[in-house]
Amino acid sequence: MAVISSGIRPAFLVEGVSKMFAGRTGEVLALDDVSLQLREGSFTCIVGPSGCGKSTLLRILGGLETATLGTVTANLAATDVPESAFVFQEHGVFPWFTVLDNVAFGVRMAGVRKARREKIAHDWIGRIGLTGFEGAYPHQLSGGMRQRIAIARAFATGSPSLLMDEPLGALDAQTRMLMQEQLLRVWESDQKTVVLVTHQIEEALLLGDVVVVMSARPGRVKEIITVPFPRPRPADLEGTPEFAALRQHIWNALRDEVRASMEFS
Amino acid sequence: MSPKKTPTRTWSASGDLAARRRALNAASAREYAHSRHLAQRDVLLSILTPIVLLAIWETAARLGWIDARLFSPPTRILSQGATMVANGQLWANLLPTLLRLLTGFVTGSIAGIVVGLLMGVSRVVRAALGPMFTALYALPKIAILPLLLLIFGLTETPKILSVAISVFFVLQINTVAGVVQIDERILEAARAYRATGWRLFRFVLLPGAMPSIFTGLQVAAGSGVIVITAVEYVASNQGLGFLIWNSWLLFQPAQMYVGLIVVSLLGALLTGAVVLLERAVVPWRRANTLRKKRNT
Ligand SMILES: Nc1ncnc2c1ncn2[C@@H]1O[C@H](COP(=O)(O)OP(=O)(O)O)[C@@H](O)[C@H]1O
Ligand SMILES: [Mg+2]
Repeated sequence: MAVISSGIRPAFLVEGVSKMFAGRTGEVLALDDVSLQLREGSFTCIVGPSGCGKSTLLRILGGLETATLGTVTANLAATDVPESAFVFQEHGVFPWFTVLDNVAFGVRMAGVRKARREKIAHDWIGRIGLTGFEGAYPHQLSGGMRQRIAIARAFATGSPSLLMDEPLGALDAQTRMLMQEQLLRVWESDQKTVVLVTHQIEEALLLGDVVVVMSARPGRVKEIITVPFPRPRPADLEGTPEFAALRQHIWNALRDEVRASMEFS
Repeated sequence: MSPKKTPTRTWSASGDLAARRRALNAASAREYAHSRHLAQRDVLLSILTPIVLLAIWETAARLGWIDARLFSPPTRILSQGATMVANGQLWANLLPTLLRLLTGFVTGSIAGIVVGLLMGVSRVVRAALGPMFTALYALPKIAILPLLLLIFGLTETPKILSVAISVFFVLQINTVAGVVQIDERILEAARAYRATGWRLFRFVLLPGAMPSIFTGLQVAAGSGVIVITAVEYVASNQGLGFLIWNSWLLFQPAQMYVGLIVVSLLGALLTGAVVLLERAVVPWRRANTLRKKRNT
């Protein structure tokens, strides 16, 4: 196992986590003996073939799902707010709340008073570019806008860690780039521990300190790559040969796994 | 095949902002006018169709194509209605029906929603009551009227109770379904943001079940009118149901038509009231249907 941490206690310590789903149709081993250490304030990206257990791992990290075997120890300083704020793959915004109430939901559940939480929500709505839509209902908005509501809700909650499951998947290329910048800004200014599941290798390399490559199901940690590019990363990073080489390396690793996952099912 | 040249519009090429604005406004005004026109046409058609049918009915009855004794011409029904309003007969029958219907509808709905919510949030309550209620739902509610008459006698209670029971089951089933069918991803989001207990109920489960509850209320409004009419056929000497039934016994078709029309209006009004309430309570659903309906 690669050691990412540098002596201090990691924000997330994942030790030998396996997850078995038992259903009427049989059992599915989603995760098999996954071990990871995520340093506090680090930005980790997870890539892997679909169905390899990325979402499951994220849920286990955030305590929404329990590991069948193994342990997850979260060591995050959170007093009133939840330890982790989620952005789900399918956003999960509440259809019955306006944009404002959706964004304010996390802080509201944390007991923040109306005036203050609406100020926080307004602020975040502005930062993700939805000003003017505060009173709109999610159904009136596009898929990408709904996804941004979910992101704003997670940011606004103020949790020390952000767990994001393909949060930028529904966005067009320009919005995606803007949201990536926003994400980096939040991460840098608030010292959050971020875990981001993505299917874009480029995104993982642009954003992450560390890229975790997972194997086809049952999901194992196939490789942990420390991204060597210094921050702030330049806009033309994607054009450099180092970037291309690393992308090719991850792509090769993934290709075998994607192939395996397709033969498997 | 060579690519077709798309015609470029001079105002966009020139980059003249004001001109572009004007063109945009004009286009959007045209679009709006068109959709207004379609909406007006819809309204016109919806009014015109019954008027035409009534005119055909009137002509047919007067010319003897249909038996005017059975199919009273609309003008005859109208004058009968006016007479009944003037001599107070209509009001004397409308009021009891209205009171029974509303009392039964409101109590039955509240009970159904409360029990449904309890069943929705508590697996234990659901397991205990669900199968029994499902079995009872199949029982035609009007069939227990004799039993209610036996217990309560010829009072208002069995009439109100008949309505309340039939409304209760519709609401109970729709409320449970509403809670149970809330999207798993929504529940997970609620859990992730620490919505538990009362707050989970208030901010997630209740609003999540609302659309289904209102569907139930609409269905119940219809079935409530059916039940109260049927009850009044046999167990009342007052009310719209009685009026209709009595018109048969006395062979007064025009009066019967008046009764039928007023009963349908009552049903339509109650349903309309539910729809208005839904718009106020469930604004997000309306927003949704507006978006879906936009195209003709
Ligand atoms: N609640 C569940 N019940 C049963 N099987 C599940 C459940 N959640 C996930 N799985 C299965 O676990 C595997 C991993 O799922 P997931 O974590 O969503 O993968 P990924 O996010 O990498 O695409 C899949 O085969 C999926 O079908
Ligand atoms: Mg997933």
